Amino acid sequence: MINPLPRPVARLRPLPLLAAVGTGGLLTLMVLCNAEVGRHAGPLMASLVPHATGTLAAGVALAFLRPRRAGGPAPRWAYLGGLLGAVTVMLTSVTANTALALSGTLALGLLGQVAFAQAADRWGLLGLPRRPATARDVGVMALILGGSAVIILGAGA
Amino acid sequence: MTLWVLMAVLAGALVGLSRQVNGRLALSLSPLGASFWNHLVGFLALAAVAVLAGGLLVGVATTGRVLPPGLADAPAWAWAGGPIGVLFVAAGSWLIARIGAANTALLVIAGQMLSGAALDTLRGAEGLGWRALGVALILGGVGLARSGQR
Repeated sequence: MINPLPRPVARLRPLPLLAAVGTGGLLTLMVLCNAEVGRHAGPLMASLVPHATGTLAAGVALAFLRPRRAGGPAPRWAYLGGLLGAVTVMLTSVTANTALALSGTLALGLLGQVAFAQAADRWGLLGLPRRPATARDVGVMALILGGSAVIILGAGA
Repeated sequence: MTLWVLMAVLAGALVGLSRQVNGRLALSLSPLGASFWNHLVGFLALAAVAVLAGGLLVGVATTGRVLPPGLADAPAWAWAGGPIGVLFVAAGSWLIARIGAANTALLVIAGQMLSGAALDTLRGAEGLGWRALGVALILGGVGLARSGQR
């Protein structure tokens, strides 16, 4: 994964970095809300309800904000990202109830997510820019994944 | 066990794949537009599952209620998960084109783990030592992402 050619390592700018970390904070709040729906109405509703309210919220926001169309037409498959989210919910609701439990499901899920992201950057999958990893990127990955594993698996110890 | 491990890893890979697909859609529409389609298509798919496997229509027909029992008891704040998810998907689509898939995935994971650890600490959950070590490693990773040339 390490780019064999030496090249300057551009550091991340503060705005995207803070936005990304804050986006992770949103995920914690979202999981909290959806789990509360699930506790009252079951796992299917825990995913169906936020998708329904999310569709409404995004529709209203689009009507008011009217963002400018960014580019040319998108391939048809690009509209199907929502299917993947639905399948993900079904997979994790199965594995969380096996011997893997929630912590194993989370830890393995992080692994799958980062492995896919590395491949996506390396080959520029699905029409997004190529972005080969540098040695610094590998260090960032080791620290964040290692720290996450310590938190997830330490909670069960 | 092997099957479960594969399923859990696949679930994670699908999170990455959906961010990539939504990121591509955002290049044509906008991050908010990509988030709208993501939620609409996901809703239709899950509603189909609810009708086919969950007996949603049967439940509506027999009880006369659209909302399943129990949902009415959920507190109002629990309904905020959808709008928060809209922001989450839009932000991911905006980020992936700017800092790449790996940086997006890792920094979002960092934010999730840091906020989750803070929440657990506020709630007085056990295992403060492990959490502190994990938080230190993650902060080190975020700091390293800020290092290097401008």
